[in-house]
Amino acid sequence: MLQFLLRRTIGALVILLLISAVTFVIFFQLPGDPAYLSCGKNCGPAQIDLIHRNLGLDESIPVQYWEFMKGIFVGRTFEIGQCDAPCLGVSFHSREMVWDTIVDRFPTTLSLTVGGFVVFLVVGLGTGMIAAWKKGTLIDKGFSSLSLVLSSFQIYFLGPIVMGLVVWNHGWLDAPKYFPITDGVGKWFLGLLIPWLVMSTIFTAQYTRLMRSTMIEQLQEEHVRTARAKGMSRVYVFFRYATRGAMIPIVTILGMDLSGLLGGAIVTELTFSLAGIGRLAVESVTNIDLPLTMGVMLVGATFILLLNVVVDAAYAYIDPRVRLG
Amino acid sequence: MNPIRSRTTRAIAVAFVAGSLALTGCSEGSKDKKDDKTVGQENAKEQQEALTFATAEESTGPAEPVKGAQQGGTLTVYSQDDVSHLDPGQIYVSDAGLLSTILHRGLTANRVNNDGTKQVAGDLATDTGLTEDGGKTWKYTLKDGITDEDGDPITSKDVRHTFERQFAPFITDGPSYIQQWLAGSGTDYRKALPDGPFKGKHLPDTILETPDDKTVIFHLQSAQPDFPQALAMAGYAIVPEKKDTKEKYDKAPKALGPYKIGEYKPGKSLTLVKNDKWDPATDSVRRQMVDKFYIEFNHDPGDIDKHIMSDRGVDQAAIAFTGGIDTSNVPTVTKDKAMMARTIQGYQPYVWQLNMNMDRIKDKKVRDAITYAIPNGELVRIDGGSYGGEIAGGLLAPTLPGFEAKYDPFNKLKKPTGDIEKAKQLLKEAGKVGMELKYAYANTPIRQEQAVVIENALTEAGFKVSKQEKDQATWYEQMGKIKNGLDLYMTGWGQDWASPGTVIPPSYDGTQIQDGASNYSHINDPKVNSEIKRISAITDPAKASDEWNKLHHYIVEQVNPAVPLYFTKQFMIQGSKVGGAEYNSFTSYYDWNKLYVKK
Repeated sequence: MLQFLLRRTIGALVILLLISAVTFVIFFQLPGDPAYLSCGKNCGPAQIDLIHRNLGLDESIPVQYWEFMKGIFVGRTFEIGQCDAPCLGVSFHSREMVWDTIVDRFPTTLSLTVGGFVVFLVVGLGTGMIAAWKKGTLIDKGFSSLSLVLSSFQIYFLGPIVMGLVVWNHGWLDAPKYFPITDGVGKWFLGLLIPWLVMSTIFTAQYTRLMRSTMIEQLQEEHVRTARAKGMSRVYVFFRYATRGAMIPIVTILGMDLSGLLGGAIVTELTFSLAGIGRLAVESVTNIDLPLTMGVMLVGATFILLLNVVVDAAYAYIDPRVRLG
Repeated sequence: MNPIRSRTTRAIAVAFVAGSLALTGCSEGSKDKKDDKTVGQENAKEQQEALTFATAEESTGPAEPVKGAQQGGTLTVYSQDDVSHLDPGQIYVSDAGLLSTILHRGLTANRVNNDGTKQVAGDLATDTGLTEDGGKTWKYTLKDGITDEDGDPITSKDVRHTFERQFAPFITDGPSYIQQWLAGSGTDYRKALPDGPFKGKHLPDTILETPDDKTVIFHLQSAQPDFPQALAMAGYAIVPEKKDTKEKYDKAPKALGPYKIGEYKPGKSLTLVKNDKWDPATDSVRRQMVDKFYIEFNHDPGDIDKHIMSDRGVDQAAIAFTGGIDTSNVPTVTKDKAMMARTIQGYQPYVWQLNMNMDRIKDKKVRDAITYAIPNGELVRIDGGSYGGEIAGGLLAPTLPGFEAKYDPFNKLKKPTGDIEKAKQLLKEAGKVGMELKYAYANTPIRQEQAVVIENALTEAGFKVSKQEKDQATWYEQMGKIKNGLDLYMTGWGQDWASPGTVIPPSYDGTQIQDGASNYSHINDPKVNSEIKRISAITDPAKASDEWNKLHHYIVEQVNPAVPLYFTKQFMIQGSKVGGAEYNSFTSYYDWNKLYVKK
């Protein structure tokens, strides 16, 4: 296990280093100079040079990259103050420390992702299991058709419809808003309920279908039949044998979908006017904001890499055939 | 005011409503024309009324009360973006400029009186300034009893500091009129005080004089009759010397106005609370009615409208910060009488034009052909119909003095669908039928839709159009390159104050052609250049205005560097409990100094 973690950590660090270098290089290849965005009316080459100096863009690209990467480990000093390690620089646009901004926005995205994850896992797997249990019945057919329809409901399509109905027309709920969980669990829950349900709809539908088919497959496996033949109850076999087997492909896809959910945060946050990492990512690109782009990329990538390690570890737990080492 | 830059339209966010924009465009166009004339023309008339300078007596506080005003309450304000700046020295664009009308104070300030007249008044100064040499030397005396939010008095030292810090390298975003008038054109003025006042050096008395605690004298290099108007810009509001934290000041400035920063969560929200050290007796411009302004960021335009249109709970006392009603919501609002009753409208200072790169399109006949061919009415329809804009006959906005509503040398008003026949004929005369035009447009839904219209019209007129889609965020940077390799592109420009002198020189002066500068058509006409120089030196504002308008005629008719497209209009909606909602033509948003919350 220890060896596995060590190997994966080193791998992750190499990937992060590559991502940082690629992002940095791509940034300078893109058309667009951030200096022009704040150049005002008296814009001209001299003014642009001055802004470049203020933003640290007058150095060569390798030097800028080195300064940035060094800052992550030892911190940097800017005119607006000391940026302690892990320092991701100062945003070109907002002139805020990037690390502080990300730390400030992260809880919103985390709440969204975790909440959406729980919803599609519980609802998706639950309905999938029920459909498999009741295979061929009206319930099964109902769930299957519903999931077929819902799996084509994109967030940017469903979001405004739900908002129009629930918030603007009837006022059943307030417009989604993020409250820290410390402000009260109820407030936090109600504030994010609509985004959770909307963002997880597609996933829920897909997991229903996936869970149903893998469960049905598992129920036809020989070891399940043997267990039943040995006299174990249907319920026991369903949960102890079939579900465990069905979870292996589910966990594989779960890892990928979690990253997808994080990507979906961009759309969710824009649809529901929430201030999280996804919106930050979009803003950083629109504002040609290198430090913020780097920060969001690195934090996002780290998060996804961590999730993958967790998923790999989870395999070993579920499937005894997999041994880490 | 800056060109309309990227922050006004967020390509990615806006993309989601692309479909609905297209639909609205089609259904709204013709129906709106009635309102176009009634509301639009009234606004135009009102907004052209000349600006006057308030006397010392008129500059004394308190401001005339707003009718029916009530005290207290919280006003919720929705915004797409965080405020660009809070440090006055860095404020140029409209969002921060709007906020500064209740937060900061300068030597002079703009105000719209209750009877609708517009004035520049003495703000921290007792009057709008004394000059005895036609505008070369300006003397100001500070009012008594003015303090910052900590209660520390403001003296002439703070005024000196305010102007000297404008020379420091970290101040790059604000206006530069006064620095240039004091110490040299372009960016040369910076040489007069390269580090600002931060390393113990100061501007000599021959430039800026502060003989005592109350008196400030500006010695300009040439006469500038518009000096009091320039001083009223947000960028020249006072930064108290002892409170200046340089780069850090942008996040935590000290207020002199009726409101100060209560809590600021960058990128999320900004709460303004009453500044109890502000004395209404010193202020003829501002009022202090609501308890709190709560500004929440990250709301996309459509979402802001939905909040305010639904008119529930806190949204009853809510307004948009700088965003007008989204094109997709215009039909819903205009069809609903109750909703229309809670809207404001007015002209913005922007004029959209289709620049013709004169380095590449050298034949005036070809430029005229392009101009005749463009169907302005269609372009307006796509950009919000008559609530979003109005066809432009010339290149000067209705917000400028001497605006001629009927000026229409290219029949833009008479033929809103364009004059293809005339265009064909001109192109034939020029012998350029089939000429290729490289036309660039920004990647936003509105511009994309307009691009189709422009392409079709020019193709019909006999041109061969090759379209190029460009990134909206860096639009002005790309168009501002001298060698941009393009023939046609849209840009918008607005005045800094109500004088064509803040529009014509930056846009049409041939001596100002350089990368990043705003002469986007690269017009370099000897007569225009010399006239700009001559008229800039005229000290009588009325005479100068006349001369600018004559030069405008020459530019449009004899040179024709850009197709006049349309003037932009503001159309905003407020909650039912928002009182004192009024369009302010200086900021082109709500007049925040008149807003109150109805009980």
